[in-house]
Amino acid sequence: MTGPNRRFVSTTVEVEGRVETRVVEVPAVTLAPWDADAALTHVGARAQRVDGLLKAAGRAPYTTDLARPGMAHAVFVRAQVPRGRITAIDTTAARAMPGVLDILLAADVPARTRLFLPDVTYAGAPVAAVCAETLAQAEAAARAVRVTIEPGEAAITPEQALAGAPVRPGLTSNQSGGAPKVRQRGDVDTALATADVVLTREVRTPCVLHSAMEPHAAVAEWSGDALTVWESTQGIFRVRDGLAKALGLPVHRVRVICEAMGGGFGAKNYAGPHTFTAAVLARRLRRPVSCVLDRAGEQIDSGNRSSTWQRITIGARRDGTLVAIDLDAIIPLGIGGWDGGPGDLFHELYACPNVRTREAFVYTNTGAMASFRAPGHAEGAVGLELTLNAIAAELGLDPLVLRERNIATRDQKQDRPYTGNRLAECYTEGARRIGWHDRAGRTVRDGRLRRGFGVAAQVWGTGGGPPSYATVRLNTDGTADVLSGTQDLGTGTRTILAQVAAESLGHRLDAVRAVIGDTATGPYSGNSWGSITVASLTPAVRMAAEEARRGLLEAAAGILDVAVDALETREGRVHVRDTDRSLAFGEVTAKLGNVMIMGQGARGPNPSGTGIVTTGAQFAEVEVDVETGVVRVVTIVAVHDAGRIVNPTLAESQLEGGIIQGLGYALFEERALDARLGLPLNVGLHDYKIPTHADIPVIDGHFLDGADPLANPVGARGIAEPAIIPTAPAIAGAVADALGVEVSELPLTPWRVLGALDGASR
Amino acid sequence: MRLIVNGRPVDADPPGHQPLLDFLRDACGLTGTKRGCDRGECGACTVLVDGEPTLSCLALAHGCDGQSVQTIEGLGDVDAPHTLQEAFVAEDAAQCGFCTPGQLMAATALLARVADPSEAEVRAALSGNLCRCGTHPKIVRAVRRAAATLRTGDAT
Repeated sequence: MTGPNRRFVSTTVEVEGRVETRVVEVPAVTLAPWDADAALTHVGARAQRVDGLLKAAGRAPYTTDLARPGMAHAVFVRAQVPRGRITAIDTTAARAMPGVLDILLAADVPARTRLFLPDVTYAGAPVAAVCAETLAQAEAAARAVRVTIEPGEAAITPEQALAGAPVRPGLTSNQSGGAPKVRQRGDVDTALATADVVLTREVRTPCVLHSAMEPHAAVAEWSGDALTVWESTQGIFRVRDGLAKALGLPVHRVRVICEAMGGGFGAKNYAGPHTFTAAVLARRLRRPVSCVLDRAGEQIDSGNRSSTWQRITIGARRDGTLVAIDLDAIIPLGIGGWDGGPGDLFHELYACPNVRTREAFVYTNTGAMASFRAPGHAEGAVGLELTLNAIAAELGLDPLVLRERNIATRDQKQDRPYTGNRLAECYTEGARRIGWHDRAGRTVRDGRLRRGFGVAAQVWGTGGGPPSYATVRLNTDGTADVLSGTQDLGTGTRTILAQVAAESLGHRLDAVRAVIGDTATGPYSGNSWGSITVASLTPAVRMAAEEARRGLLEAAAGILDVAVDALETREGRVHVRDTDRSLAFGEVTAKLGNVMIMGQGARGPNPSGTGIVTTGAQFAEVEVDVETGVVRVVTIVAVHDAGRIVNPTLAESQLEGGIIQGLGYALFEERALDARLGLPLNVGLHDYKIPTHADIPVIDGHFLDGADPLANPVGARGIAEPAIIPTAPAIAGAVADALGVEVSELPLTPWRVLGALDGASR
Repeated sequence: MRLIVNGRPVDADPPGHQPLLDFLRDACGLTGTKRGCDRGECGACTVLVDGEPTLSCLALAHGCDGQSVQTIEGLGDVDAPHTLQEAFVAEDAAQCGFCTPGQLMAATALLARVADPSEAEVRAALSGNLCRCGTHPKIVRAVRRAAATLRTGDAT
């Protein structure tokens, strides 16, 4: 998309709750948006997932399934203490074991990989890698490596970290930025002093683990000085650039491939120790090397959602109008990560002129956090919504009514309008679906089995943005390929790219194939994170397909001897309007031989001066056994406004998935740490309990009809992260409703439920 | 030892301690059976041994001597899918798809026992098969859909 018509402009994009300004290229072509009334055939259809059968047949090629000729296997030796200095590593016994090919220590790897550093800063840190002919041999030899670590003082809790020495070399403060991150609009103190009602609550949320079914994995193979890495990742280009930088390679010598991947949820955004280890060993051994985390490694050392302590103060008028929201929070990041905290949501979910958040992000000697589906927002929603419920009770207002009175009609973070926000309709439709207004007859507050209802809301920036590129080409038989350097995490990206291309070409869906997941074949597209893939990439696909369609029409016009304007495309045929003359795409391309019809598409900038968000509300009905403390979620109703839904079936799958992860967050999931060693105690999927088939409620997930033509030319926004944000607070609110007792800490295990009842009866 | 893998006899002499999972994936090249935890917690490696759902990461290959093992590849393939596999596609019962083969094998064993399983029976039979994408509602629907198709006899 270069040429005389290109321009470069600044635009704001929101990624994982962070607003960034970037310089972007404005494409020469602008597309007329598909508005809500656009007559579309493939977009909006319940098309089957194009790789569904491949997955159901066990034939989808995951990184962990690769078996390259001569492939060796690498595993890590991990530190068992949280802090200390490696004084010796004895590999003699390990090297003599069967099948052992190589052992990597710090001296064997480029410094930029930061692998196997002598300073141990968390339990579970890799200190060496052992490579052998088979995985079993590598695992056996890894157990024979003797590591001597002189223990140091560790800070496991944020309190210890704030009082102690730096948790890792190079830090001057264990607090990110050296001080709490404070953001304020208006004057919170004055507003609280004059509010009719002011309540303060303390809420704790747990550290939870992504627990993707496919662990982090890389297979590396060199061909001369060129490196190919297969990686289970959410971002092939980020992995490529990370590898090039760490290994000191020119980018064009590195190719990263991800054909199928078994879940990421935020933990698989970058090249990691396993990636570098596979690449370095493959070069040393001159053979392919696979490095796959074992389940314990995956749970200990691949990221987590930070726990939070939140103290929330809300001031309101008698009629329920919010006048001030104040948050104090402590967020332990572990040994690294970024400042993804609960505060952001407090500034945008409800209309409120005075908001202050003070977040202390604290480094500790535990595993680093990583983005986990709606990082910060999922945590913040628990504190904000539970405190709002307390305000509703204090004022004698229905919790839904209180929320409806405080809808944020503008983007208060940046003082600008939204392209669209139909949260009010989400409340109304959700209330209708769960029978909110006649719930009194179904609420049970005595006897053994209590029943209650809860509601919570959500906002998440889902505008996406540039850069994101796609190429659409027509093959000699008239079929089409969509090429883009994106990847499909299981969200259905392949399918929706094919749908948008088929729509724009006027083609049959089964004649379009999305070729993705390879940095060597697809133009750049960003990480699949932040619920931005659809909004970022589908406009580029549409532009590319429309350009290809123009080329096809010009060629067809020549063959049919009519003007281009007289032609239209439908279901793989070029029709001469108002006649019965037509040509199949393949008949046109056959005349072209190997002359290629190809379109290039680039994502244009977002509209300036507007916020683009997905909003929604979820309602929970729960049953609580007050003798055992067991909570059973009966029903979740979810209604979201995400603009145009490209594929309702796939969108519902993601919505249900977010809700079920949110249910785990509400009821079961919590990383347990040994208080002294900082070592996670529940590193398996038995002890770390994620939801199973037995735990699943009735889920009624619904998207409002419509489109957001102001946001982008496809009119679509994201849904993956919005889905999880309100679930846990809706469930917690419902539990509190059933018990008639406030709850303040997740997960709501039987122990905590009984504790809440016990505390109330004292 | 000799075992039957997806209907074909296989003669092999794997290491004595080799799990069935490794034998299937590495020696037989049947990577449809997934390694999710390697400790019997996630169900991704579920296969059928003489028709019984079995966690292949905890079973020894030698322990299956003389037995019949069915993996996802033996259930049906892309060009000739089993009714259950077709139902999984129709209901969008695979998101990332990593747990899908295990879910399908557990479902196969269930449908061999119960022709018309209730929702509760499907959930109970598949509860050992974890899914992190949260596809459970559609998996349950897919299994019941396949059961209905199989009962009417127009199954593939």
